[in-house]
Amino acid sequence: MRWLALIWKSLMRSKRRTLLIVGSLILSVFTVAVLQSLLTTLNAVTNNPNSSNRVVVRHKSGLTQMLPRSYEAYLRQQSEVETVCALQWFGGYYQDPRNFFANFASDETTLFQIFREEFGVAGITEAQIKDYIRDGAGCVVGESLAKKNGWKVGDVVPLTGTIFPINPRLTIRLIYKSPKPSDENVLHFHYKVLEEGVPRMKGLCGSFWLRTHRPEDIPRLIERVDRHYANSAYETLAETENAFNLAFVKMLGNIGAIIQGITAAVVVAILIVTGNTMATAIRERTTEIAVFRAMGFSAGRVLVLLLSEGVLLVGAGGCLGLLLANLAAGGVRESLGMAMPFFADFAILPDTVLSCLAGALGVGVLATFVPAYAATRRPITDGLKAIG
Amino acid sequence: MILGLLILLPLAAYLAWLVWALVAYPIPLGYNLRSLWQRKLSSLSTAAAIALVVGIFVVVLSLAQGLSVAFVSSGRPDQAIVLRPNARFELNSSIERDRMRILKVHPLLKRDAEGPMASAEVVVVKLFPMADGTDTNVTVRGLEGRGIALRPQVRLLQGRWFRPGLSEVVVPRKMQGRFPGMEVGRNLRMGGRDWQIVGSFDAGGASYESEVWSDVNDVMQAFRRESYSAMVARLEGPERVEGFLKAVEDDKRLKLDVIRETDYFRELTKAGDPIKILGNLITLILTGAAIFAAMNTMYAAVAGRTKEIGTLRALGFRQREILASFQWESIFLCLTGGLLGSGLALFANGIQTGTTSFETFSDVSFAFTITPGLMAQGVAFSLVMGLLGGFLPAWRASRIPLTEAMKGG
Repeated sequence: MRWLALIWKSLMRSKRRTLLIVGSLILSVFTVAVLQSLLTTLNAVTNNPNSSNRVVVRHKSGLTQMLPRSYEAYLRQQSEVETVCALQWFGGYYQDPRNFFANFASDETTLFQIFREEFGVAGITEAQIKDYIRDGAGCVVGESLAKKNGWKVGDVVPLTGTIFPINPRLTIRLIYKSPKPSDENVLHFHYKVLEEGVPRMKGLCGSFWLRTHRPEDIPRLIERVDRHYANSAYETLAETENAFNLAFVKMLGNIGAIIQGITAAVVVAILIVTGNTMATAIRERTTEIAVFRAMGFSAGRVLVLLLSEGVLLVGAGGCLGLLLANLAAGGVRESLGMAMPFFADFAILPDTVLSCLAGALGVGVLATFVPAYAATRRPITDGLKAIG
Repeated sequence: MILGLLILLPLAAYLAWLVWALVAYPIPLGYNLRSLWQRKLSSLSTAAAIALVVGIFVVVLSLAQGLSVAFVSSGRPDQAIVLRPNARFELNSSIERDRMRILKVHPLLKRDAEGPMASAEVVVVKLFPMADGTDTNVTVRGLEGRGIALRPQVRLLQGRWFRPGLSEVVVPRKMQGRFPGMEVGRNLRMGGRDWQIVGSFDAGGASYESEVWSDVNDVMQAFRRESYSAMVARLEGPERVEGFLKAVEDDKRLKLDVIRETDYFRELTKAGDPIKILGNLITLILTGAAIFAAMNTMYAAVAGRTKEIGTLRALGFRQREILASFQWESIFLCLTGGLLGSGLALFANGIQTGTTSFETFSDVSFAFTITPGLMAQGVAFSLVMGLLGGFLPAWRASRIPLTEAMKGG
C-alpha cells in the first residue's frame, strides 16, 4: 500500500504532464483496439463455426455465371450430402437503394435445414415454416431487419430488383431471431418467384448450398463434384463456406496489411512518447532518487518503483482507451453494420482487450526501463549534487 | 462553413502575427531554436512520434485519393451510359439486342465519319487467380471498336488492340503486376476457351485499369450472354445529355435508364467511403494524441528553462516576444516531424493494391500515389499540430512572473 501511495505521489507531481500523457495513451490505445477489432471481425466471417458442415457449389467462372438447377439431383445423390438448397443473391432494395440488406431467392423446402443455426431453428415452430412454404409469395426476414423497417408478420414488402428486372411484392410469413446480429439482416423468398419472373433464369441458379453429414467428408465431396463437372458446359467450383466467404472479405483488399502497418506505427509512436515523458519525469527527480538510495533503497527497488510508475501510467491509459473503444463499438455496429453486413457483429473481443493491455504494459516497461536504469546507475553523490 | 470561418480566421490572424514576429523579434527565436538542439533526444523523439502520425495521415490520404481517382477520372460529362431501369450499375443491367439496335442509331447521338459514337458493351465478372494463390473477381468488359475511342484517357502501351472474332484480350498494365500470367503473348482461360493477350493499356488511373477488355460478341458468346449490359454513347455536348435522357426514358420501345457518365462514376466512388471515413477518423484521433505529446514536450521545455525565461524578461524582452518565440519552437519541432513523416510516407509510394467495389462485385486496382500535394498537406498538418500543441506552453512561458523566474523553478 505504501508503495502505491509513493507511486501515486510521483505521478501527481506534475498533474498536467500525467494527464497529457494518459490522454495521448487513451487515444492511441483506442485507435489500435478499434483497428484490431475490425480485423478480427473480418476474420470471423471466414471462420464461422456453424458452417463446418457446409459446402457451396457455384460456376467456376464466378458469381455472375449460373449453373443448371438439374445439378441439384446429382448433388443430392452423394452419400455425404444431407440436403441441398438452391440459392441466388437477388440484390433487391426496399424503398431506397441506400437501404442495403442481403436478400436471396432460395429453395424454401430445404432452407431451414441448411441454415439451421443462423435461423435459430429451435425458436421456430413447424407451423411457421409450413406457413412460409405454403405462400408462394411469402418471405422470411431476420428480426433486426424487421425492426429497422417496422415490419411485422403479414406485412407486404415490395422489393425493387437491381440485378433482375422484377419487383416482387412479398408477404412476411416468418420473423426469426438469430444468435448473430449479422445473420438477422437477411431476407429470403421462394426461388420460384425468380425463376418464373425472369425468363433467362428458367432452370438456372447461382449457387447450391450443401449440408454434409460430417465435416471430414467435405474434401472428398468437393473433389468429386468438381471432377464430375469438369469440361462440361457449366464447370463448377465447390468449396467450403469459409473459403467462399474469404473471397468476400478479400474484397476489402489489403486492409489487413494497412491495419497492421498503422498499428505498428502507433505502437512505436507511443513507445517514443512515453519514453520521452518518463525520461523527463525521472530527470526531474534526480536528487530525489539519490536521496532514496542514500536512505537505503537498493538500486533494484528504485528501478521497480520507477517501472511500476510507468506501468501504472500506461495501464491507466490502456484501460480507459479500451473502455472508450467498447463504447464506440456500438456506434460502429450501427453505422458500418448497415453498409457492410460483417460489421453488424463488430465488437471488442476479450482477445483484443488482452492483447492491447499486454501491448500497453510492454510499452510501459520498455519505455520506462531505459531512463530508469540510467537513473539507478548514477552514483548517489552525483545525484545529490545535481541541480533539479 | 461559418463555424469553419470562426475557427480559421483567428488561426490565420495568429499565424500572420507569428510570421511578422519572426522578422520583428529575431533574438529570442534564435535562442529557442538552439535550445531545441540542446535537448536533442527529447526533441528528436517528439519529432519522431509526430513523423509517424503525419506518415499515417499522408498514406491514408493517398489511399482515399487513389480510390476516388480510379472512378472520377473515368467519366466524361458529354457521355452517357444507358442501363436497364433500376439496375444502377452495368453489371446488373441487361439490354436485349432489338432494343440495342434502336438505341445505337438514336438521332440524338453524336456522329462522325464512321457513324454514331456509341458502343454496345457487356460486362461480366470472372474469378482470376492472384499472385498469392487466392482468387479475386475481375471485371471483363466486351466492347465494340468505338468503345475504345469513347475513352480517350485509355492509351495502348504494348502490342495492339483486340480484333473481333479471334478471342483476343487486352489487359491493363496495373493488373499485370498483381495477377500472374498477364504478359502480352500469353493465354488466358475464360468461358471455356483460351484468349490471347495481344496488348496492354494504361488509363491514367481510371477504373478501366481494373478491367480486361475484349470484343463484345466474343465475350457474349463465351459467357453465354444473350443480351448486352449497357451502351456508352457520346452526345454533341454536356447540355445534350438531359434531352437524350428524356427521349430514351419516354420511348415506349426502349424504357431504359440514362445516366450521365460522370454521375455514374461518382456513384461508384461511394465504394471507398467506408475506408475514407475510417481513415479520417483514425488520423483525427491520432492527431489528438500527437498534440498531447507535443504539448507535454513543450511544457517540459518551458518548465526546465524558467530561469532562462526570467533572464530574457530581465533583459527587456516583452511577453509577446517570448510567446512568439516559444510558439515558433513548437512549430519547428512539429514541422521537423512533418517533413520526416512526409518523407516516410514516400516508402508507400507506388505500392500496388486493390480493393473490391461492393457495388460492382469486382476488383479495383489502384496504387498508393504520394504526390507533392499530399506531402504538403502532411507538412501543413504538422504545422497545425505545432500551433495547437505549443500555444498553451508558450502562453505559460510568457506569463511566468519575473521574480519567480529569476529564482529558478
